[in-house]
Amino acid sequence: MSWCWIAFVEDRPAGADAAASTTTGDGRRVGTLAVWLRRAKPVRSARRMDLRLADPAGAAATLSLVLPPAGMRLPFDDVALQHARRRVLAETPFDGVSTLLADASHFAGALTVARGEAQVARLPDEPFARLFAARVLHLGEGVLGSVAPPAGPTIERYGSAQPWPWDRFPA
Amino acid sequence: MLEQPAPTPDRLPALVPGRRLPDLRLPDHTGSERALSELVAGDPVVLQTFRGWWCPKEQAFFRRLVALQDEMEVAYARIVSLSVDPPAVSAAFRAGLGARWTFLCDPDRRALARLGLRETTDTVHNPYVPAVATVLPDLTMTRSWNGYWFWGRPTLEELRQELRAMTRAIRPDWEAPVP
Repeated sequence: MSWCWIAFVEDRPAGADAAASTTTGDGRRVGTLAVWLRRAKPVRSARRMDLRLADPAGAAATLSLVLPPAGMRLPFDDVALQHARRRVLAETPFDGVSTLLADASHFAGALTVARGEAQVARLPDEPFARLFAARVLHLGEGVLGSVAPPAGPTIERYGSAQPWPWDRFPA
Repeated sequence: MLEQPAPTPDRLPALVPGRRLPDLRLPDHTGSERALSELVAGDPVVLQTFRGWWCPKEQAFFRRLVALQDEMEVAYARIVSLSVDPPAVSAAFRAGLGARWTFLCDPDRRALARLGLRETTDTVHNPYVPAVATVLPDLTMTRSWNGYWFWGRPTLEELRQELRAMTRAIRPDWEAPVP
């Protein structure tokens, strides 16, 4: 499997494979980010994420979470979104990135993981945050890991159900 | 299957079509160690060795590859560039070119020695000899070009033709499904 489920929920859900609280920059708690490693959709708001980003041993991180506004259904092949993927490949990489999918055709968000002062400083200008407003959140340990940057220059998904940058077709 | 050209004087002994490349492990332009097999994954790859950022012939050839990347990015194919430039230099060169693929860095020249691709006429930089090989997912080379002289390097049309043949060979659904 190339993807897992991820969702923002109020409290740690029973059955999640990893979860941690998120807070804003001023320390206000804003919910729990949970990950499920299974095929069946766990909660209604769950979205598909590149499986490699899930890591129950991952260190705490700062996230840029980009979600389209309610009612906005941007096709994954929209030229602005294509260009955001190009910029991810061109620019200095973060610790991890994944687009989020709710179906096979539309962009349902993006998650960018930053660690260290230099990455966190660049986070407000990460390429997907130029598409829609991003929330920058602090995430506790045990949910998201580090993933080597995509090899490039491919910006396409390896099948419409696969989040980018998952990088290969099934064997 | 793909045509397997015989070795000729145009091809470097280290890059003979039909042979498999070693699974090199080198830092990329960000300084992270990468395995060649990880970068290739399941796609056809253009592997390029180059002298260094300072060589005008390399700069000219890179402009050719940068033009090709707009097609590569939607064609499930990859480019990997390899030189003795260290990561910080490679990252700056890559950014200046507008390249969006991975640059491997061999400043210690370990892989260079293993591959036997040192350009012996440049005793100042001891760089890679300029070359291009097309590589299948199992790291088998299908074609190679000796770029010591600029005109020995592949044209974009030669690369397109080879990438088409490689893709046809490795994609079981090359023939479009029809009713």
